[in-house]
Amino acid sequence: MEQPLVDIQVLEIGGTVSVSAAGKKFSDFGANVVKIEPPSISEIRKIAPFPNDLFHIDHGAMHLAFDTSKKSLVLDHNTNSGKEIIRRLASQFDLIIIDLPALETAAIIAALNFDDSLMPNIVTITPHGMTGPYKDRIENDLSIFGWSTRSHRHSITGNPPLRYGPYAGVVQIGSTAAAVGIAAVWGKKADGIPRNVDIAGVEALMGNVDSAFFLWSVNGALQPRSSGQSRGLYPMGAYKCKDGYMLFSAGRDPMFTKLCNAIGRPEVAQDQRFIDPEQRPNHFEEFKLILESWLADKNKYEAFNELQEKGVMACPVLDASELQNDPQSVFRNSYITQEKKGVGDITLAGPPFRMNGLNSESWVSRSSPNFGEHTNEILKNLKYSDQEIIALFRAGVTS
Amino acid sequence: MTSKMLSNINVVEIAEVWAGPFGCSLMGDLGANVIKVESYPRKSETRNAGDPRLDPRVAEGTGPIYERINTHHHGNRNKRNIALDIRTTEGRDVLTRLIKWGDILVESFSAGTIDRLGYGWEVVKKINERITMLSLAGWGQEGPYLGRIMFGVGFDAMAGHALIRGYEDGTPEEMIPILHSDATVPLTWIVAVLGALMQREKTNAGSYIDLAQIEDIAWQFPNIISEWTMNGRIPKPLGNSDPSIVPHNCYQASGEDRWINIAAENDLQWANLTEFMGNKSWSEIGHEWSSIIGRIKGRKEIDLAISDFVRQFDPFDLADQLQALGIIAAPVLAPPDPLMSPQLHDRNWFQIVDHPYIPERLLGGFLWKSEPDQPSWDRRAGLVGEDNNEVLLQLGFSTNDIDSMKKKDIIGETYVEERT
Repeated sequence: MEQPLVDIQVLEIGGTVSVSAAGKKFSDFGANVVKIEPPSISEIRKIAPFPNDLFHIDHGAMHLAFDTSKKSLVLDHNTNSGKEIIRRLASQFDLIIIDLPALETAAIIAALNFDDSLMPNIVTITPHGMTGPYKDRIENDLSIFGWSTRSHRHSITGNPPLRYGPYAGVVQIGSTAAAVGIAAVWGKKADGIPRNVDIAGVEALMGNVDSAFFLWSVNGALQPRSSGQSRGLYPMGAYKCKDGYMLFSAGRDPMFTKLCNAIGRPEVAQDQRFIDPEQRPNHFEEFKLILESWLADKNKYEAFNELQEKGVMACPVLDASELQNDPQSVFRNSYITQEKKGVGDITLAGPPFRMNGLNSESWVSRSSPNFGEHTNEILKNLKYSDQEIIALFRAGVTS
Repeated sequence: MTSKMLSNINVVEIAEVWAGPFGCSLMGDLGANVIKVESYPRKSETRNAGDPRLDPRVAEGTGPIYERINTHHHGNRNKRNIALDIRTTEGRDVLTRLIKWGDILVESFSAGTIDRLGYGWEVVKKINERITMLSLAGWGQEGPYLGRIMFGVGFDAMAGHALIRGYEDGTPEEMIPILHSDATVPLTWIVAVLGALMQREKTNAGSYIDLAQIEDIAWQFPNIISEWTMNGRIPKPLGNSDPSIVPHNCYQASGEDRWINIAAENDLQWANLTEFMGNKSWSEIGHEWSSIIGRIKGRKEIDLAISDFVRQFDPFDLADQLQALGIIAAPVLAPPDPLMSPQLHDRNWFQIVDHPYIPERLLGGFLWKSEPDQPSWDRRAGLVGEDNNEVLLQLGFSTNDIDSMKKKDIIGETYVEERT
């Protein structure tokens, strides 16, 4: 069976983590994705880690993961010659995803003066949107997450607000672009109308669930910053065991009772100190001691197996060395190895979803392209002559 | 113009909490016709509150508590709501007719549950061979963990994120578990189901999608596994720092619990920052901090210097001034700060939504804008069973059928305990 998106043509412009993550949602499922990269080198190619800590333009881990199954065209989008190439390409594409400063994005869109039948759907990604007094502000993964209200929500009082893992926010913004982008493609196929979608990263993060603002906007109840793990609804968080940590989400009944039974302390589930909402916060430390006493002589997987057997939501906190060996990951091939010329085998996460079976070929990942690997091929397909391609290179438009 | 991108797609939702329901709301924002089949007579997870005096999720008001919980409102706009007991013969008849009507069926039960309820993929595709069915169990539908219990907080733990999210030199014990998957899985499954519908255009056949939420989280953090496989290192929490960029941190500003994120990603931004701070020499040749190498070596001292400087400024004013100089700077927002953002007001981001049981408020808006068809808030989060009559009549049930189902508590508009 063909891959599901084999008829879709996607152009991504900008070379950021966001736009690369967006394009990957299409490329590994069969879409033809062309990545337009600036001669000054895409952001995603500059991000560590690199194999053996040796910098190489084609070997960065984020690039190797998020640019799979794509083609690379190096092009200066700020030149008129570059815009002309984008224009020629664009009429053949279903979707363009752009992550550039608003001014540069607007200039590219202005060059695409097609009628509706030829005009592709366009999704723009900017920190604050294409309009408004902040449209030209520059942000990064840290600062945009601060805007979203999530770093304040998930941090500990007395300490700085805290982002999630590096690039979590911008990857989420890219995933937002992929979701609305594919919807726009579907919509144009149905009604012939190309969509111009404006994603402001701040709005994409703040409007999503897990945002403190949205929850507050419904009920108006200001929540103080946490002083650590919940003292009212426990256990909800990580607890030390013999070889690391176990994570629990078992604060409410019937889960709390199941947990107390599982650790051989059924009386705790009847003890007012631990179940009365007003008394409970004062007895957190006592409960922690009870649970960690039980965990002390068990390693993560022993505790995991025993607790899950009794119906308790608990799981091991895994570190990077353990991810590939988790039995479920092994069974499902959740991590794959892929050969990259010049690097050897690299390890990547497998498909984010499985269509029509665990091992179906709806998801096929090919190694990420080298910088400008397809520049010549794409320009020739656009009917540029050899001399014209040389002239574009000489003028610094391509690389 | 209400968004029409997906106006030719019918979605049936039998899902709990956020990963399924919020994605269905996004589909509704895009114009899809979404019907939420809500658990009945058992309440949905997002309608369960503890003691309302102690549960901050409950909005003030006089109506039923289960209609005033913020977690429910945040995942259920732009869909119709029926409350149905699908364990009964009549309830199964309703669900079967919905599956015939639908293009997409979204379920988020633990693996195997939907099969036990009699609506596994083999059954569903016999009812409607063109439907796409999406299952969202945490570990997916196959594997040794089948039957185990997993909530959103666990995915970060088992994908390695829990050990890199935190303060430098901190431990995971005091960190608050997060629900990142609830925010990101919906964005992935929309691509999945629309991809399946595109395939259907050629094959005329539906698809089954097994989305293991933990695999979607793993997909988002390639740097975790790569640090180990490329260099044999186990990544540790970085706090707000970046190994290659200094300054890159969150600094305390003036005011109570006020903070600002500041980063200078290159020499020019650093020079502008030092000039603003009145210490231009820090960026001049000869000073150890003038190069990125020197700044990395002097990370702690630079952070201290900026911390001392920043404390005298309001974070919003300071961000305005630094941004004007081309420096990355942003206040850290907490509710109700976004309401004061001129940017969000200029873009009409906030939405006013009428609801019978919660006071009128400015709610958070959409994840995107689109031309020519902007998303619009056509339906607020449905009251339980609010659209029972409309949907069942549409499915061909008579008013007598509907009345009979109500009498038997197969459908309802209030929960049983509320009537006593």
